[in-house]
Amino acid sequence: MSPNRGVVLNRRLIDYFDEAHYIPSLKSTTKDAVLDEMLQPLLRSGRIRDREIIMDMLVRREQLGSTAIGKGVAIPHGRSVAVPEMQVVLGRSEVGVDFDAPDGKPATLCFLIVAPPQDKQNHYLLLLGTIVRLVKDKKSRDRLHKAASFDEIRMLIQEVEPSG
Amino acid sequence: MDKTELLARIQDLDLMIHEVTDPASKGQEEGLGFAVIGLERLKEARRKLEEQVDRRSLSLYERVRSKYGRAVVPFQGKLCLGCFMTVPTSTLSRRKEGDELLLCENCGRILYWL
Repeated sequence: MSPNRGVVLNRRLIDYFDEAHYIPSLKSTTKDAVLDEMLQPLLRSGRIRDREIIMDMLVRREQLGSTAIGKGVAIPHGRSVAVPEMQVVLGRSEVGVDFDAPDGKPATLCFLIVAPPQDKQNHYLLLLGTIVRLVKDKKSRDRLHKAASFDEIRMLIQEVEPSG
Repeated sequence: MDKTELLARIQDLDLMIHEVTDPASKGQEEGLGFAVIGLERLKEARRKLEEQVDRRSLSLYERVRSKYGRAVVPFQGKLCLGCFMTVPTSTLSRRKEGDELLLCENCGRILYWL
């Protein structure tokens, strides 16, 4: 089964991925520090302004329940009034980060998704679901882990994305 | 942290709580494989944030929230993103004065500067 079958976004999945928002090797080793590190590219590119409010929201979301889904993948996410437009940051960790995953495995692939609350068509949940389906596919996970450059990641996403 | 930031944080929490308790959205996160077990912790965090806001501002927040669903809305390029009306320059200039909440003169929502 295609990892993305049936999901329709008004933007293509690839449009949410930006090389400037890709961290090939996360330096942080704890959950909160990783969340903070993953917000930095968004601050640098001016996509967000208020780090503290967004960080607070992400930490609270982790208190609601871990955003790790197992198999070395974590997808920290949430909505905040301080986020102007939905953003994705992809980070990889060589040593892995303890995200309290259900299978106990440290996260080596982290997708941070932040979105504004105003989203009547619920693109946020659709994007979240699309990424969950992408990383549930072992081949895609392996390719994301092994990608030597952002271009390889871009190619993978374009390959798995439904056309039209 | 100023009052607007506190109310923005409360609203972020309210949205999170709503998404996992409202019948229309409940179960969506769990359906994707995310754990939802700490609702009480979120409610406790909200209570703690509430204690830091004066009663008048909190009451305003609740009133506007009950009317529109969300009380705190961004404004961007002089536009209230709640009602999409232009926020007068005189209102925007008050942003720099003290810790008062900025309200949209058209819809009454609390304005958060993006």
